[in-house]
Amino acid sequence: MIRLSNVDKVYRTSQIETVALSSINMEVKEGEFISIMGPSGSGKTTLLNILGLLDVPTRGTVRLNGGELTSYRDRDVARIRNREIGFVFQTYHLISDLSVVDNVEIPLLYRRLRGGERRKLAREALERVGLSSRIHHFPSQLSGGQQQRVAIARAIVGKPRILLADEPTGNLDSQMGDEIMDIITSLNRQEKTTVIMVTHDPRLAAITERIMRLFDGRQVN
Amino acid sequence: MTKHLLTLVWNRRRANALVVLEIFISFLVLFAAVTLGAYYADNYRRPLGYSYENVWDISVGSLMEMISGDSAAEDKKNITKRLLAALREFPEIEASAGMDNPLFSIGTSNNNYYHQGRKTLASFCAVTDGFQDVMRLELVRGRWFEAADDALDWDPVIINQRLANELFGSEDPLGKNIGNPEEKRQARVVGIITEYRENGELFEPENYVVARRKLTGVSDDAMLHIVIRVRPGTTAAFEETVMTRLLATARGTSFEIKPLAQVRASFMRVCMAPLLAIGVVAAFLMIMVSLGLVGVVWQSVTQRTTEIGLRRALGGTATAIHAQVLGELVVITSVGLLLGTALVAQLPLLGVMTFVGTRVFLVGLGTSLALIYLLTLLCGLYPSMLASKIQPAEALHYE
Amino acid sequence: MLKNYLKMAFKVLLRRKFFTFISLFGISLTLVVLMVAVALFDHTFGAYPPETKTDRTLGIFFVEFRSPDDHSMTNGFAGYTFLDRYVRTLPNVEKVSLYSFPTTAVSYLNGAPVTSWLKRTDGEFWQILDFKFLEGGPFSPQDEKDRNFVAVINETTRKRFFSEGPAVGKFLEVDGQHFRVVGVVPDIPILRIVPFADIWVPISTAKTDTYRGQKLWGNYLAMILARQRADLKMINDEYHDVLKRVEFPDPKQHNKAFGEAETLLDLGSRLFLLEKSYGESPVKRFMAWLIFLMVLFMLLPTINLVNINVSRIRERSSEIGVRKAFGASSLTLVGQFVVENVLLTLVGGGIGFVLSYGVLHFISSTGLIPYAHFGVNYRIFLCGLAITLFFGLLSGVYPAWKMSRLHPAVALRGRG
Repeated sequence: MIRLSNVDKVYRTSQIETVALSSINMEVKEGEFISIMGPSGSGKTTLLNILGLLDVPTRGTVRLNGGELTSYRDRDVARIRNREIGFVFQTYHLISDLSVVDNVEIPLLYRRLRGGERRKLAREALERVGLSSRIHHFPSQLSGGQQQRVAIARAIVGKPRILLADEPTGNLDSQMGDEIMDIITSLNRQEKTTVIMVTHDPRLAAITERIMRLFDGRQVN
Repeated sequence: MTKHLLTLVWNRRRANALVVLEIFISFLVLFAAVTLGAYYADNYRRPLGYSYENVWDISVGSLMEMISGDSAAEDKKNITKRLLAALREFPEIEASAGMDNPLFSIGTSNNNYYHQGRKTLASFCAVTDGFQDVMRLELVRGRWFEAADDALDWDPVIINQRLANELFGSEDPLGKNIGNPEEKRQARVVGIITEYRENGELFEPENYVVARRKLTGVSDDAMLHIVIRVRPGTTAAFEETVMTRLLATARGTSFEIKPLAQVRASFMRVCMAPLLAIGVVAAFLMIMVSLGLVGVVWQSVTQRTTEIGLRRALGGTATAIHAQVLGELVVITSVGLLLGTALVAQLPLLGVMTFVGTRVFLVGLGTSLALIYLLTLLCGLYPSMLASKIQPAEALHYE
Repeated sequence: MLKNYLKMAFKVLLRRKFFTFISLFGISLTLVVLMVAVALFDHTFGAYPPETKTDRTLGIFFVEFRSPDDHSMTNGFAGYTFLDRYVRTLPNVEKVSLYSFPTTAVSYLNGAPVTSWLKRTDGEFWQILDFKFLEGGPFSPQDEKDRNFVAVINETTRKRFFSEGPAVGKFLEVDGQHFRVVGVVPDIPILRIVPFADIWVPISTAKTDTYRGQKLWGNYLAMILARQRADLKMINDEYHDVLKRVEFPDPKQHNKAFGEAETLLDLGSRLFLLEKSYGESPVKRFMAWLIFLMVLFMLLPTINLVNINVSRIRERSSEIGVRKAFGASSLTLVGQFVVENVLLTLVGGGIGFVLSYGVLHFISSTGLIPYAHFGVNYRIFLCGLAITLFFGLLSGVYPAWKMSRLHPAVALRGRG
């Protein structure tokens, strides 16, 4: 489903060159639940960004559903992000000015769906994460765990085939963290969503099918 | 600290450049307005040299007639003599005289006057006998014009104290010639008055020469204005009586009668108008400058939230953050004001605006600088408050 | 979609009330200045009664006479004789009227002086212009020929001299002359310089007949009514021909005559562009200059706003990252931010519009410009709307574009 071949990512300023990733080769099949582990600075987030098309590799190729991504033209990439990928961030990144349901609707805004249709899908997504009773609340009125659930609802509302999660439980206590992991796991099992999760918690990594380890931008085993 | 601020400002020079330009321009306009205002205010408190209460100005011939020369030449013969004679019959009129230049207007006539190698410029005006009674001029030394002066083979003049000092120093001006030495017929000083400010209180005092007009009975002695002093308590209804008499005396001419107090009031409105206009433009520019300053400082704060949080985490107090934000603004403003002051300082060297005098110039400069700095501080207050409220944990929280 | 944008825009503006306030202040102030300028322009050059036939009317406003060596020249209004001889006789016109430049004239009412603007006109003046008469009617060319001392007065003059009662048939004295009132018209603002006056009387009632003298310049202007709009250029060309054949009373003093038969807008354009005579239509260039100055004027607040907008959007970098991550293209984001800015500008424009209405009303009431009744008509409103939208786009596009290019990975790395 997703394949990276010889991917490098180098950050260049006028004076310094930082190698974030080097010679990454990986393949994720449809429906897999894998985790990426490594210490700070190992390039986990950078790798996730490249997988989610939020960043462009300096060298190497990215293949999505067999087709190679040659043009990173803004409009093309945006469409793929919208339809195929859902992102969950460690700090939730909810828009504080908007209500829960308005936040969840955001991916659908860029799909040209009518207002009623959007509402319906958003409610379904919120129900899936167990937040039907808080549709019109604002993020500031929710606990960390609830906010993350909203974020997950937002990530799945468009029914993407891939879910990318960057330390989804990093800001939560163990109980809330477990709830979140339950939801993610069930998404993988029931809806067969491909899940790639970055984590530094071995306990969480243990739930996944496969662990990919990074150290200083390289794969290690 | 200052060097640090300068570095910060220089690094963001592109964003700051526009604000500097705005400050530069609005300073120039503000300077113009403030200095003009100070000039007027400074002149206003000096004595006028004459009294305008209960004096009416009569314009002989309408402006259009004067320009197009429409009134019949026949009618202008002896006209001033006839009009003055007619006016003398009224008991309500204490005194009347003719004068060439109107009071409280912008125009002026000037000429060079000489004494012992010294040459100086003075404004002048011609009047008929008795002018001093109408305007209540104050004689310091010497005498007024009189009918016997008609027979003289030189022109008697009365000068103001200022001209006397400038041309004669401590010497006695009376009886001395001040005309161009090459001219045969000379102007000779017969009297000295305290002051005569023809243009009114808003303009600076200058040298003045009052000359005498002989009413010889030829049409080119027609004077443009006649001023009359009416007894206190005379009502405005008397104006109609005067007008009727004037029209009967010179049929083809139009007249306009205005109390001098009214002429003065209209003239002051006209003089204030440019000041008002410049003031409005200055106010508008200041508001735009505020907009610019707020924008620039907020940009700087949002770009550096992390840095500010860091400073706080490293022990910086809220006051220090205030100081940094405001300090940056002050540096930006100072650059603009420095450029502005440099330009403004050239003006006296170029001979522009020299009429205001050094003291007024400096007062105007100082006030404008102070106002803009004040504006800067006000603009920086809210954003610097926002900056100082940035919590280190919040700002540094990422990854 | 738009509803979402509007909702978001509203929330964002409320989030940073101080900066929103400052932006609105700057925008509305700029727009007030522009709208008042537009209104003044419209009221000076636009077609308002009694000038209903401006599309086929030309005026002779200024003439210039030069000496043989071009060293000296006289520039000003033409004399009556000049206009009578050379303009009244122009072929291919429907009607010509001569009138004087208004002068102040004094009357005495119960001893108190009253100053009025007095204009001397011929009978044709009333036939070209369309005055609405509140009472009575105009004087005719025959009145002018017979030297009848009749007058048309405006409403304010009627109120001054005759209180509330009717004025036709009554007498008033002005500048020492007596006239019988034959008509009363509404007040005309001083900006409408062609018809403006308080009191109109026939030219022949002048105190002396020096206006009929040989001098070529004086105090008079002319109005030429063409048969149709297409004739205007031809009439001006004929006037130029006539000027070449002027007989000068003193050819040593002046032997060349220059002038234009033009509309008021032409005159205004020429004066603004500092041109003596026009080859191409100066009006287009005049308007181009005005638009350029307007844009220049708008540039200052625009650039200031750009800085504020950039900061405002930068504070939303997290939101930008999220939207991009979920499929918003850069173009979509530009659209969102531009809509938000246009909304802000429209609010500022609305405030500015209301304020400018107040300012215009204030100017009218102070009597700074006599009889000015500044209203806001649909033309001025549309102009204001166009300016506002242009302003919103101008100040919104650059910040929107700049911030929409934010790399999502960078944006999301910021505060959550």
